[in-house]
Amino acid sequence: MRYIMLISFFLVALYSCGQEVANKTDYPLQVGDIHFDPKIDDPNFTLCDQNNVWQYYNFAKGLQYNGEKARIVEHFINKLKVKEHEVESGFLTIRFIVNCKGQTGRYRLQGMDKDYQAKVFNEYLTSQLVKLTKQLDGWIVGQYQGKTYDYYQYLTFKIEKGKLVEIMP
Amino acid sequence: MKKFFYFLILFVPAHAYCQPNCNVYKMNNDESCYKACILATEAEASQGTKRSQLQFDKAIELCPSLDYAYFEKAVPYLKRGDFITWKKLIDKAVELNPKGHLGYRGWCRYQFLRDYRGAILDFERLDSIISYDIGYSANGDYHLNVAKALCYKAIGDKHRANEIIQNQLTQKDYSPMPYDYLHLGVLKMEIGDLNGGIDCLKKSIEINDYLAEPYYYLGLIYKKQKKSKEYKENMEKAKSYYLKGYKCLDLYTHIMDKIYLADIEKELKINN
Repeated sequence: MRYIMLISFFLVALYSCGQEVANKTDYPLQVGDIHFDPKIDDPNFTLCDQNNVWQYYNFAKGLQYNGEKARIVEHFINKLKVKEHEVESGFLTIRFIVNCKGQTGRYRLQGMDKDYQAKVFNEYLTSQLVKLTKQLDGWIVGQYQGKTYDYYQYLTFKIEKGKLVEIMP
Repeated sequence: MKKFFYFLILFVPAHAYCQPNCNVYKMNNDESCYKACILATEAEASQGTKRSQLQFDKAIELCPSLDYAYFEKAVPYLKRGDFITWKKLIDKAVELNPKGHLGYRGWCRYQFLRDYRGAILDFERLDSIISYDIGYSANGDYHLNVAKALCYKAIGDKHRANEIIQNQLTQKDYSPMPYDYLHLGVLKMEIGDLNGGIDCLKKSIEINDYLAEPYYYLGLIYKKQKKSKEYKENMEKAKSYYLKGYKCLDLYTHIMDKIYLADIEKELKINN
């Protein structure tokens, strides 16, 4: 029980960190910036340049992963366990940073229903998706003109009646 | 001639979602909206920055009906995976100017989220409120009718998708886009029209011979037809093209019917 409560707290904390309200005026320096939070982030995960974190699309190569996206899809399809009679549908986005060494950290979640409203998915599904995302170890280091960069990446999972039907981007 | 120019200045921007013509506001003596429009167009250059987002807010404050400011303010949220905030902002732009933004919103629902049903609703609503062509995707790769067809395919209505693409390709003055015949060829293969699929995929190669995908799907069709020589030749060609970087690419997300190297290698492995 204690374990479930801790996980739930962790997920809610992650979820709330990812939110920005449309009319909020205290914007981060860049939309979507993820700052280190000692309560949930691994202190051993470091960035090469915290003032210059790129977005994955800045490299103009799409999603960069060893074995390409096919390998990511295979990873989730093979390992995600789905409960029978599950009814939840929507989108769950996990955003994180790939540093200049290809390591990942600062994971944040955003759950959304089919009407684009905030949604908290059940813990069984969410914790699996977070765990499986953290297991991905083939992220390619972002490079541009011979220099390496940290970058933001996200994965969006489209869920229909508890089943994973698509992974984006 | 002068009247024609006034017509262009006043009406053309209403139907486009590129940068607005701020002079429209000036001509109407609407100083607040003119200033807002200038602010918003300047802010676009530093997309996603705090300064840019604040500038859009200022523009919206000065001119609450400026749909362009909502539209541009929304873009970085979309690209960076905050779809809830994106939707709130793009909905406001659509509310203010449905003709200008419904096609874009529908395209993004398809491209970024594979929200097929939502995208179809937007495309069809746009079609119902305009009397002209519904236009093209934001990245310029698709006519929105073809995007709509792909959404129908994804929800299982492949025959309807086939009809929509075929109809689009026969429209007067329509030039096929880079992936039209690839998608149509794959669709025909999926509905069992193998010879139709071959014709379309060959046409795709004729129009744009910089993709591995048509060769891969041609290979699959030849495999179904038990033409092993043609199957293998096309798979080998797909592999060599893929390794040269000739493949479907979208900077933000993946293209429907895109293949990966693993797909080709799996085929070659099975049949060696």
